[in-house]
Amino acid sequence: MSLLNAWKQAALTSRSTGLKHLITSTRLVSSESSSTPANKKSGEIVTPEAPRDVLVADVISGAPTELRHRPVRIYQPTRNTMQSGSGKSERWRIDFDILPGGGRWENPLMGWASSADYMQGTRLSFRSKEDAVHFAEKQGWDYYIQQTTVKRIPPKNYAENFLYRPSKLRILRTK
Amino acid sequence: MTTIPSRLARPTQLSASITDARKRSIQLYRDWYRSAPEIVQLYALNVSPAYVRHCIRERFEANRYVTDQRAIDVLLLKWRQEYQETVNCWKQRDHVEGILLAPQHRPQRSFLQKFYEGRDEDAVRPAATGAI
Repeated sequence: MSLLNAWKQAALTSRSTGLKHLITSTRLVSSESSSTPANKKSGEIVTPEAPRDVLVADVISGAPTELRHRPVRIYQPTRNTMQSGSGKSERWRIDFDILPGGGRWENPLMGWASSADYMQGTRLSFRSKEDAVHFAEKQGWDYYIQQTTVKRIPPKNYAENFLYRPSKLRILRTK
Repeated sequence: MTTIPSRLARPTQLSASITDARKRSIQLYRDWYRSAPEIVQLYALNVSPAYVRHCIRERFEANRYVTDQRAIDVLLLKWRQEYQETVNCWKQRDHVEGILLAPQHRPQRSFLQKFYEGRDEDAVRPAATGAI
């Protein structure tokens, strides 16, 4: 969670500095956040990425300009906990962060949940992270990438139960 | 009133250079500018041609700093279509009054007005008015 917060913070700070440039009409330099800076060696020569030519899609898409000020999250959805298969968790998604003021209310009579936020039900799926980033850049959205948690499932087998280990006691199973 | 479908129609065109794009956009602006009295008359609007010109100017100014040639080409195409539809009277009065001549900016609000309407009012401004 703290990692996510850090990402959010980074995205927010970059947003506050980048707001002035949001209206810029060509995007030659990608604003991709550093996704893997940790495993770089210190002596390694890092060549900067060649600037990519990104179409300014937001001036021709007809989307409201207010969307330029909304951060979006790029993430990989987790497995559906009600099913054992990991279907649909390979894709990458973009969804919009909720509005700071809420923009939501509850119907006083029936208790229905309502929202004035027209992007709250919208999510976009992509085959890869790069596709999602490219799309967000084209639209001029501020994005942050939420890293996927790598889960390691230890190998299990039945024979482990009867394995002889000299130093340790065998696992006692009462049932 | 009969309409000729091909009136004011232009084939899709890609600008050869940024100078060419500039020339084309000035030409388009000029066409809009000249047709302002006609638009007012055609739709029996209760505004002056100068106001129509002002609104058109505002739309053009919004895209003044676009330098991406592909984007400019699409914008030119869209606004050329818009021009054709408007001047050919393929729209109705509400389309012109409510979309084309609609004010693009919200009026100035006082501190209290902003407070009453909440923080998200700007972010959730309805975008469904559509066109361009």
